[in-house]
Amino acid sequence: MEEPLTRYLRARIPDAEDVTVSDLSRIPGGASRETWMFEASWTSAGERTTTPLIVRKDPPASLLDTDREVEYAFYSSFYGTRVPVPRMCWLEADATILGGPFFIMERIVGCENNTRVILAPPYSALQPQLAREMYEILAAIATFDWHGSAIESVCRVPTADSAWRDELEHWEAIIDEEELSPQPVIRATIRWLRAHPPRPAQRVSVVHGDYRVGNFLYRDDGHIHGILDWEMAHLGDPLEDLAWSFNQSWQWARDGRPGGIVERDEAVRIWEAASGLTADAASLHWWELFTDVKCQGIWLKGARAFQEGKTSEIFLALVAYSLVNTQDQSALRAMGKMS
Amino acid sequence: MKPDAVRVLQGVSLSLLTQVLPEVATPFGQQTTSVAAGLAAMVGEEFDRAADRLVAENGAVRTILRDAMPLLAADLQASVTRALGTSAAGYRVSALQAENDALRGALVDVHAAIGAIDSDAARAIDGRIWEELVESTRRREWTMRIT
Repeated sequence: MEEPLTRYLRARIPDAEDVTVSDLSRIPGGASRETWMFEASWTSAGERTTTPLIVRKDPPASLLDTDREVEYAFYSSFYGTRVPVPRMCWLEADATILGGPFFIMERIVGCENNTRVILAPPYSALQPQLAREMYEILAAIATFDWHGSAIESVCRVPTADSAWRDELEHWEAIIDEEELSPQPVIRATIRWLRAHPPRPAQRVSVVHGDYRVGNFLYRDDGHIHGILDWEMAHLGDPLEDLAWSFNQSWQWARDGRPGGIVERDEAVRIWEAASGLTADAASLHWWELFTDVKCQGIWLKGARAFQEGKTSEIFLALVAYSLVNTQDQSALRAMGKMS
Repeated sequence: MKPDAVRVLQGVSLSLLTQVLPEVATPFGQQTTSVAAGLAAMVGEEFDRAADRLVAENGAVRTILRDAMPLLAADLQASVTRALGTSAAGYRVSALQAENDALRGALVDVHAAIGAIDSDAARAIDGRIWEELVESTRRREWTMRIT
């Protein structure tokens, strides 16, 4: 990939000479896009520049089918705001260059995003500060004025009343299409959700769509330096992100605490204080149960992609083996059917 | 006598973790090796129990479907009857899974229909379906520790 990347950068950076790409390596994770980091160097006006960059490339098959143009728009819209994101460089739809559409962004260096590292010293002592920042940034996302931004031009805008229904129908359709076998638990969950709708959204907000420990960059200064993985971002009910961050699949310490770093009630308190919004208990419960449906849609899609040979990414098979059943159990517990 | 599949896959898993992983230089390679190890261990457990789980579950779902039949509308009775007529020819896991798919597909429809009926008999079936759904997840729990 070094050669096509070098050619691409040579064409994209004006007056660049002696362009080189080095230290190219794939970053673990990234089940929706292949993520690679590299150093780009070039000479311009006699001066040598070296920049750490990230390329996010669409794989042949993944857990998600999302539009990188949408992800790019969210990153671009938040750059320079209270919500820390890397600066976007180029968006490329031509799949022939790297074998799939991609975008390139600056790399925020010197950070961790590992979900185990944050549980251990020295980060364990920083968890209260990181958690505060995590939910204050989420509040900033929820209250961001997206009108007139690039987001508005790439997203469908739901109403406050339709936000829950739109999301439920979207993920139900994915399950309809992707399930390899009938899913009686999640079908019952969907019926429950439809029969007990939440209150209308307090506002139509940006929803990151995958906001959780594991998708932000942190340092030992106790601060969050980048919010990543906007591939499921959309406009909707801000409670969706709050609920998603609570899902058991990312309770990394297995102790019931969101992300393994904060008590649920404390997270709600921080978010409410910072956003001025209210996390109505019944509505939040609805959205938490919804996240089980959404997770299941993602796991089932990956399972089908692997089963049908669209990909041999064994991570997708592992997800199906390890998470589909626990997600069913999470939904059963949330509906009071299982202790 | 040869080592059974469970032991073979346990050995594959341990070998990947203890012998291969330390030799892998890149984070992506390390993650892929760890995933392969975990997957091998899970597939091993599933290999041993899959047929037993499917036979038990197919029997449990059949009983519920039969007992629910008098409460169902004619068109649903017809589709449930078709599902009940599905029977695996032999004990291949793929055949048992196909039978399971037919029966659990019917269970989804019956659960939806029963939930809309206001009667003690329907509520009793509804309760049994929920119990079966809970039990179905317990049948799929891993006894091995997944890291």
